[in-house]
Amino acid sequence: MKSKFIYPILPLIIISLALEILVKTNFFPSYLVPAPSQVFKVLSFENLSLWKALGQTSLASILGFTISLVLGVLFAILLSTSKLIEKVFYPYAVFFQTVPIIAIAPLLVIWLGYGLPTIVASSIIVSIFPVIANTLTGLRSTEKPLLDLFRLYSANPKDTLLKLKLPFALPSVLVGARISSGLAVIGAIVGEFIAGGGIGEVVNVSRTQQRVDIVFAAVFLAALLGLAFFLLIDFISKATLKAWHASER
Amino acid sequence: MKLFLLLIPFFCFAKTKLALNWKPEPEFGGFYAAQNEGIFKKYNLDIELIPGGAGQPIVQMVAAGKVEFGIASGDEVVIARARGADVVSIFAVYQTSPMGIMVHESTGIKQFSDIFNTRLTVALEKGLPFFKFLEKNYDFKNIKVVPYNGGISEFLRDKNFAQQVFITAEPLSAKRENAKPKSFLIADSGYNPYNVVLVVKKSFLENNQKLVEAMAKASYEGWSHYQKSPGKTNVLMNKLNPTMDLDTFNKGAKLQIPLIKVKGIKIGHQNKTRWAKLIQQLLDLKLIDKTIESQECFKNLH
Repeated sequence: MKSKFIYPILPLIIISLALEILVKTNFFPSYLVPAPSQVFKVLSFENLSLWKALGQTSLASILGFTISLVLGVLFAILLSTSKLIEKVFYPYAVFFQTVPIIAIAPLLVIWLGYGLPTIVASSIIVSIFPVIANTLTGLRSTEKPLLDLFRLYSANPKDTLLKLKLPFALPSVLVGARISSGLAVIGAIVGEFIAGGGIGEVVNVSRTQQRVDIVFAAVFLAALLGLAFFLLIDFISKATLKAWHASER
Repeated sequence: MKLFLLLIPFFCFAKTKLALNWKPEPEFGGFYAAQNEGIFKKYNLDIELIPGGAGQPIVQMVAAGKVEFGIASGDEVVIARARGADVVSIFAVYQTSPMGIMVHESTGIKQFSDIFNTRLTVALEKGLPFFKFLEKNYDFKNIKVVPYNGGISEFLRDKNFAQQVFITAEPLSAKRENAKPKSFLIADSGYNPYNVVLVVKKSFLENNQKLVEAMAKASYEGWSHYQKSPGKTNVLMNKLNPTMDLDTFNKGAKLQIPLIKVKGIKIGHQNKTRWAKLIQQLLDLKLIDKTIESQECFKNLH
């Protein structure tokens, strides 16, 4: 268990040390690349605003991700009920995949105002598609003999969905959730660029003030947030799939 | 490999680059005039004007040698120098910074300080030094500060909305959309850095003294020309940036004349006292943590 954490931390230590030396020897000027020690100093001693920002971004990302997950799964279930519905609506789901969030974020502010609703909306728009696409694939890939078995016992559609199709789709849903968890953080930060608050605002302000050290510290925190999400989904995935699915055995 | 060989001549004859920090607008009129009227050519300069966008770190690009010349604001130069980037301003377009705050006339605001006694939503770029200056000198409890996202659509929708502007640009667009805006210069409240300054890396200046001098002289002639007859240059800039209509270009060019030409000061010239004052202000605002030589910030070459 211990070594599991040491392996990924090793490269971080080596890269930080190398960067520290390169910056301190003026190979990289510190106004272009901050010394890791300086970033660390910002993280620990800079007033609490960075950590407060992390809290705001966490809240927005969690909301965005949760809503994406719920809406995405529901939408995928709807699409899976009939080929016609899928043909009509699936292209709109793809729309979420391709929408350039930077372009429509300013419109979100006009529709939803400054603050949390805009940030959460931005997070949802960016993170919902992987959930829809993966859930749909999962729902479609129920094994034929099992479906036949359910039909043989004349199970109603509701039972077929809840007891067979959805559990069978769970591994795919979790793959979608894993991808979308990181995207939810990105979406929230983009939203904050426009609507204010959180890590997005910290990045925006410190970039304008040429404080690359704070920019890096903020980006580091955002990465940690994404990682925390990822580990959470990983944990859920292990807990729910361990007993029966090959991927987690 | 072949491709690489093909690219060599391209690099050898690369133009000298001037990176602007926004799209072609009257605030760059003199540089486009120098291009358009053959003034750069007269000085043997082959300049490529590169329009920019919000948030481009022009000063850092100049310091890193990605472009030879760049446009920045005076405070950016001071902050960059305090952080060890050796950039020098060789031409200051605006003697009076055109940065302002625009409100609706219907708010009844008569003077700058009234802005802070009115219940308003104000879109400001929190990272910019003037924001800190205002925060320090005025009470913000009545206003709600929101991020500045460019454009004027929210201003047009909401009578209690105010925003930062270049007084030579957005107020004109707002008027064209039938709003009744009123704008106040931030400079009048005591914070007036040189703005739209032409910066160059000091080592580049030292190694290319002739070229940089020619650039300063050509900029001076370009701006002198644009101040008197901006018409043709505006047509050109309007083609490059059609989102601003020609009428707004012409009005903007006229509005900015007194901000650029001040009696007794040659266009583009800078002085030590003003840079020293700016340095002191940025120190007071804690945007820089050590003082720097005002003399090192600029050079008058024309």
